[in-house]
Amino acid sequence: MKKNSQLISFADGITLESGHILNSFDLMIESYGELNESKSNAILLCHAFSGNHHVAGDDKDLGTGWWDQIVGPHKAIDTNKYFVVCCNNLGGCAGSSGPNTINPDTNKIYGSTFPQVSVEDWVKSQKMLMDNLNIPYWEMVAGGSLGGMQALQWTIAYPDKLKKAGIFAAAPKSSTQNIAMNEVARESIRKDKNFHDGNYHDHDVIPKDGLKTARMLGHITYLSEEHMDNRFGRRFQNSESKMNKGIDYEIENYLQYKGDQFAESFDANSYILMTKAMDNYDAGKSKGLIESLKNIKAKLLIVGFYSDWLYPPERGKEIQLAAMQNNINSSYVILTGDHGHDSFLFHTDKYSKIIRKFITS
Amino acid sequence: MAIELSNIIKDWVPNKSKVIDFGCGEGSLLKELMIEKNVFGYGVEINDTKIQECIAKGVAVIKQDIDKGINEFESANFDLSIMARSIQCLKNPNLALNRMLSLSKRCVVTLPNLGYWKCRLNIMNGKMPVTPELPSSWYETENIHLCTIKDFEKLCADEKINIIDKVFLNKNSNRGKFTSIIPNLLAVEGVYLLEK
Repeated sequence: MKKNSQLISFADGITLESGHILNSFDLMIESYGELNESKSNAILLCHAFSGNHHVAGDDKDLGTGWWDQIVGPHKAIDTNKYFVVCCNNLGGCAGSSGPNTINPDTNKIYGSTFPQVSVEDWVKSQKMLMDNLNIPYWEMVAGGSLGGMQALQWTIAYPDKLKKAGIFAAAPKSSTQNIAMNEVARESIRKDKNFHDGNYHDHDVIPKDGLKTARMLGHITYLSEEHMDNRFGRRFQNSESKMNKGIDYEIENYLQYKGDQFAESFDANSYILMTKAMDNYDAGKSKGLIESLKNIKAKLLIVGFYSDWLYPPERGKEIQLAAMQNNINSSYVILTGDHGHDSFLFHTDKYSKIIRKFITS
Repeated sequence: MAIELSNIIKDWVPNKSKVIDFGCGEGSLLKELMIEKNVFGYGVEINDTKIQECIAKGVAVIKQDIDKGINEFESANFDLSIMARSIQCLKNPNLALNRMLSLSKRCVVTLPNLGYWKCRLNIMNGKMPVTPELPSSWYETENIHLCTIKDFEKLCADEKINIIDKVFLNKNSNRGKFTSIIPNLLAVEGVYLLEK
C-alpha cells in the first residue's frame, strides 16, 4: 500500500465560525493509494474524537491505524482502487495546529489560547486541504461518530464536492446525555491540580490524572454492557499484572491501563476542545434539520449499531428521515456489532460488504 | 418480480413521483422505476443480504421490520406506497393498509388468492393448500393472514378504501384470458391500486 504522511501549511489562514482568525495553520495528513488520472477516486475519511490522521497500516509511533480493519488493500475501502486521505483535525494533538503546537504569532505554545473550533471549521479546513491537493471532488466522505458528523456537514456545506457520504454511528447532534458525559470528563481534567487553567505547559506538567479519569469514563460509554460482560465478566485480575493495589476486577485493570495509555499520548486542552466541538454541533441548528439538508446532492449511507448506546441507531435514523423528506437518496442500515459505539471501527462481513457496495454503486 | 406484475405497477406510477416499496427485496422494481419513471424511490427491507443488493444498485433502502410500524414514514409525503406479496405476512394487514394510505396518496397491494381453485382442491382434500405459488407447509409459512380475492375486496369496502384499478394474474403471472371472469376461483394473484 502506497502511504504518504505530510504536514501541509496553509499560509493564508482560516476564519473560524466563532469569528476568530488563525493567521496560518498546519494540517497533518496521511494518504493511501494513488489519485487516478481523472481524479475521480478520492475518498476523505474523517476521524472521531480521539482519532488522528493515521487510518491504516502500522506506524512505529502511532500504532495500528484506527480504521485498519476497513481501510487497506482489498478491504472495504480498497486502497488499491481509491486514493484515501485523512487529516488530523484542527485543534487535535497529532501534528496539526492545536493547543500543543507553537503559535507562530507569539512563538509560544498555544495551550489554552488555541481558539475553540467547530465541526463546521473542520470541514472548511478539509475543503482547503482538498483544493491544496487538487482534488475536484470526493467520491466519498466517510467517518464514524464525530467523524460521521463531519461527513454529514460536508454534504450540507459543499453539496457539489462529494458524491457519497458514509455516516456511521453518528447523530445530527449530540444528545443531552452525550453533553453530560463529556462535561464530567472535562470536569475531571479541569480539577486536576496540574491543569493550571489549561496553561500546564508553562509549569512543565501535564494533568495526567484528570485526563486518565476522563478517558476511563469515555471508554465505558464506547463499549456495550454485553461486550463488557463477555470480555471481562466479573473475573478477578491476577495479582502479577495488576496496575495498582486497589484493583480487584479485570475491567478495573483494563480501564486503568487504557486510561494511562491515553493520558500519555493525548493533550488535555485538545480533549476539552474536541468534546466541546462535538457537543456544539447541530446539523439543524439554524433552520431545523429538514431545511438544513435540503440542498444535499450526495447519496447517503447511514449505519447504526444495535449495541451502541452513546449514539444509538435511532439517532442516525433522524438523519435518514430528514433526508427522505427532501427526496435525497439515503439509506439507513442497522447492524449488529459487538463493540457498542466502537462497532463502527471493526470489520464484520455485513458492515464491510455494505460499505464496499455503497462505494461502487 | 414477474415482468407482467412490474409492468402493471409501472403503469400506475406517475413520472417523478415519490415511491416507497415495503418489502422491496433486492430493489429491482424500484431500480426500474428510478430509470424509467424518474421516481424518488425508497425501499424498506429487513433481510441484510437483500439490503446489500439494494445498496449495490444505488437504491435507497431502510432496514426495518414492517410489522413493527411504518408510522414514521408519514411525514415524508409519498405519492405511492407498494406492498407486493407481503401483506399476508403481517400481523395486522388491515392496520398496515390504512397506514400505507395515510403516508401516501395511493397504494399498490398484491396478494396471493386463497380462493384459487387449486387451493380449494387442497382444502377439499382436507389439507392446507400447498401450491407452486404457496409452496410452504402450514407450520413454516410466513403467510399468516391469507385471504381470498373476495375477502380482500370486502376488507377494502369495510375500511372505505376505494379500489381504483385491479388486475388478476394466472399461474404464469399473466393476465390470462379467463382469469378476470371469475377471479376468486381462477386468479393466482390479485393486484390492486387503492386510494382512501
